[in-house]
Amino acid sequence: MKFPRRLQAWWDRRHPRRDTHLMGQNNIYILPSRPGLAFCITLLILLLGTINDQLSLGYALTFLLAGAGLASMHNTHGNLRGLSLDLKPPAAVFAGDEVALELRLHNSGRARYGIGVHVLGGNDADIAWTDVPAQGHASLHLRYPATARGHHALPTLQIVTRFPLGLFRAWSVWRPAAAVWIYPKPERPCPPFASLHGDGDGDDGEPPAASAQRMPLPAAGQDFDGVRTYRRGDSMRRVLWKKAALSLAQGTPLWVRDSQAPPATALWLDWRDAAPLAAEARLSRLTAWVLAAEQAQTPFGLRLPSFECPPALGAAPLESALQALAGQPR
Amino acid sequence: MSLVSKALSRDARDTLFLLATIAAIVAPHAEHLPLWASAIAALILAWRALLAWTAQPLPGRWVLVLVLLLGAGLTWLTHRTLLGREAGITLLVMLMALKTLELRARRDAFVVFFLGFFLVLTQFLYSQSLLIGLWMLVSVWALLSAVVLAQMPVGQPSLALAGKLALRTTALGLPVMVLMFLLFPRIAPLWGIPAEAVGRTGLSNQMEFGAMAEIANDDSIAMRLKFDGPLPPPQARYFRGPVLGAFDGRTWRPGELAYAGAADLLRVNAPALNYEITLEPLRIRVLPLLEMSPGAAGSTLEVDGLRFTRGPELEWKTERPITQRLRLNAQSHASYRAGHDDNSVALEMARALPPSFNPRTLEWAAQFRRQARFAQLDEESMGPVLANAVLDYIRTNDFTYTLSPGRYGETSLHVIDEFWFDRRLGFCEHFAAAFVVVMRALDVPARVVTGFQGVDAQPQDGYWVVRNSNAHAWAEYWTPTLGWVRADPTAAVAPERVLQGQALRAPAGALAGALNQFDPALWPQMRAGWETLNNRWQQLVLNYSRQDQFNLLKSLGFEQPDWLALGRVGAAVIAALALVGGAWAWWSARPHDAWTRQRGQILRTLKRWGVPATDTQAPRRWAELVRARHGAAGEAAAALLMALEQSRYSAAAAKPRWRERRRWLGAFRAAGRMLR
Repeated sequence: MKFPRRLQAWWDRRHPRRDTHLMGQNNIYILPSRPGLAFCITLLILLLGTINDQLSLGYALTFLLAGAGLASMHNTHGNLRGLSLDLKPPAAVFAGDEVALELRLHNSGRARYGIGVHVLGGNDADIAWTDVPAQGHASLHLRYPATARGHHALPTLQIVTRFPLGLFRAWSVWRPAAAVWIYPKPERPCPPFASLHGDGDGDDGEPPAASAQRMPLPAAGQDFDGVRTYRRGDSMRRVLWKKAALSLAQGTPLWVRDSQAPPATALWLDWRDAAPLAAEARLSRLTAWVLAAEQAQTPFGLRLPSFECPPALGAAPLESALQALAGQPR
Repeated sequence: MSLVSKALSRDARDTLFLLATIAAIVAPHAEHLPLWASAIAALILAWRALLAWTAQPLPGRWVLVLVLLLGAGLTWLTHRTLLGREAGITLLVMLMALKTLELRARRDAFVVFFLGFFLVLTQFLYSQSLLIGLWMLVSVWALLSAVVLAQMPVGQPSLALAGKLALRTTALGLPVMVLMFLLFPRIAPLWGIPAEAVGRTGLSNQMEFGAMAEIANDDSIAMRLKFDGPLPPPQARYFRGPVLGAFDGRTWRPGELAYAGAADLLRVNAPALNYEITLEPLRIRVLPLLEMSPGAAGSTLEVDGLRFTRGPELEWKTERPITQRLRLNAQSHASYRAGHDDNSVALEMARALPPSFNPRTLEWAAQFRRQARFAQLDEESMGPVLANAVLDYIRTNDFTYTLSPGRYGETSLHVIDEFWFDRRLGFCEHFAAAFVVVMRALDVPARVVTGFQGVDAQPQDGYWVVRNSNAHAWAEYWTPTLGWVRADPTAAVAPERVLQGQALRAPAGALAGALNQFDPALWPQMRAGWETLNNRWQQLVLNYSRQDQFNLLKSLGFEQPDWLALGRVGAAVIAALALVGGAWAWWSARPHDAWTRQRGQILRTLKRWGVPATDTQAPRRWAELVRARHGAAGEAAAALLMALEQSRYSAAAAKPRWRERRRWLGAFRAAGRMLR
């Protein structure tokens, strides 16, 4: 659906991006569904039959159904009204995977049934359904395909319900304020590293060193000189599993081997190393390399046309490297 | 036991529930459906239940098409059409059963849902009793529960929960239902003709001899009468309905008096008896007036938009069944003479018998006529003498009056023979029909008259009550001087039926017998209670008509109730409901604590003044912003904001009263006026 720009602006003003979404009179929409229209036609036929045959009980039946239909409109609307939603910050994913959202629904009223959430514009089969108990919470997992790399605002979500009779479809539109990082799709299978440079080697403008210079990857953690507590991003391989049971029992953090000394050679992952490829393919290859280096616990530096980070290892450098790759201008 | 404890999948359970619902909806139709249709529907439902139970795949499409064609073919064979009312219902049941064999998507559940409502409605063509009303409620509830289940995609909600939710929705709709029922204008049929009452003792335009094995003792009220004088004697309490003169060996129909001169001529002698009659909507096509109401054949009568025409045999007919309560004043003459003197064609038709039917009766009549005592009869005395002789014969032989004589004509085509010689059990219609056949066999013109006979022993509120159980059939035979003369063969066998106007009570059933053993008073009490309930139902729901709507309007204070007034009341109710709804929505959407509302007012005011305040700041900060924006001019407003800060956050802060808050806001806005 293509809105004229003014309508789109009005639409966006009506639905500002928010972290939480409380549904009320002003942001729930409701229309009869297709079965609802069929129900109206059925009622009309019942009424005509009743009038033509002058059946008192027919009037009773027709009006009973009309009353139930009308009440179901209020029930359908009330099924959304007063429900509020928020979501956990979504984890970054690679393009081509699926973004997994975890929504939480908070209900301060009576029990809600058949609440569905889907990405606006998606098809009906992708609706994730849940019930929310009275005065309680429910969580709901929603997935949608991550297509293009970048730092994207979450797509507009639609909360929909047809409960109780399915004659009406009530929905509400939520534009979450959160954004999600979508990293470039890593190249598979991972190509071998192009080169290994010494620290600062890359600045001199020389063409990248030939493959002769390639060395076997340093075996991580060989030069072991101490232990420290586990920090986020530490490799599972470096955990002292022999001590793990004790730590878990005592509730203390795990111990990991600590290799203070940086490896003799750092790995530089360079934009130019992926040279013959097109821009997006280069990003894919660099992403694959970054992941491989992380896998191998090799400190790596990343050099991009507008970004450079020194060789390092750990969760934070990895994240910033991947974000830099994702955020490359197209 | 292991079968019972087997855990059903949600899908199977929902399907079985839907099937049970469908079975409950179709079941009352079995009474009037052709046997094959009930059997096929039952088979299909059972098969579908088995498939659901054993989680087997549904049959292919060709099976459905085959069964559908079979159903349509059988329908055609049974009803000779696919479009009529009964054929339509048969097809509807077939479709409903077949639809269960392709319940795949949610859309299919809705199709069952809609078909179900049509099936419920069509049942009302046959009965609108209190029990059927209850059945309707349960059916609708079950159908709605099935739909609610279909709208709960998560987990395995229990049937009880779905039922409860459906009940809640229905209960919320009840006020709407009651209002619409009371206020929706009761208009005449838009096109087509309403079905007549079926299967009741109600009068209809034909009478099939011996087709009813038993007649229900329907004690609901048919009409109320108020006489301008004494109640006529029991022998004269006949209310004339359709006259049936043509007999084809099985069924009586109105005679075909083809040309205009054939109409009966009526001359009334005695002074008129005036009376008021209130006729309930009986869904019959005649106005049963006390014999004999004046008016020539072909004359018309307008009552409440309904037009009655005097038929050629002096009954009052209308084009469509009476579906509203009618009140009118009428006259009756105790002494009259009906019929032309010289209408040989009509008399010839009143002597006609279907050839080669009932040979034994014809033979008997010929022998009867040959008796010596009838040898000297002239044309004038022949009718009365023979009629009395036949009535005597009925009186002195072992004929029995009963409401449950069983069905006639199941072994033989000669139903009158069967009645006259073999079984001799029957109620008024058997006696009247057999009497007429015998009279015709004796060469006396005769015809069957149907209508009501008798009134309740005691009046209610000054009104004499005629009940549906007073429906009756009697006979008329011809004499040259007196014209058509009434003869009631039922009176010969059961005089109390005519004299007291009471039908025989149906024999007590097994349950009644058992209860009688226990407490003789209990069964009559229960029966009386049930009858009262049924009567209320009849009065309040079934007979609710335009007249009642207007009475309701009158009690609401409308001097002259009409459609316009009804429309006004309807519009007023809708407007009031909309207002209440709007007020409720506004009230529930508005912030519920005083501070949130006050903060909203202050922020809106500050925005007008051009102060960029937000709801996350304290009044102190707003005061700073006011000073920053307006300087000294804003000092008054800033001071008020600081006072607010004090009253809200100081140690001695108390919740301000509504009046104080109003005063503060007034002062604040007044302070703002200096800013412009």
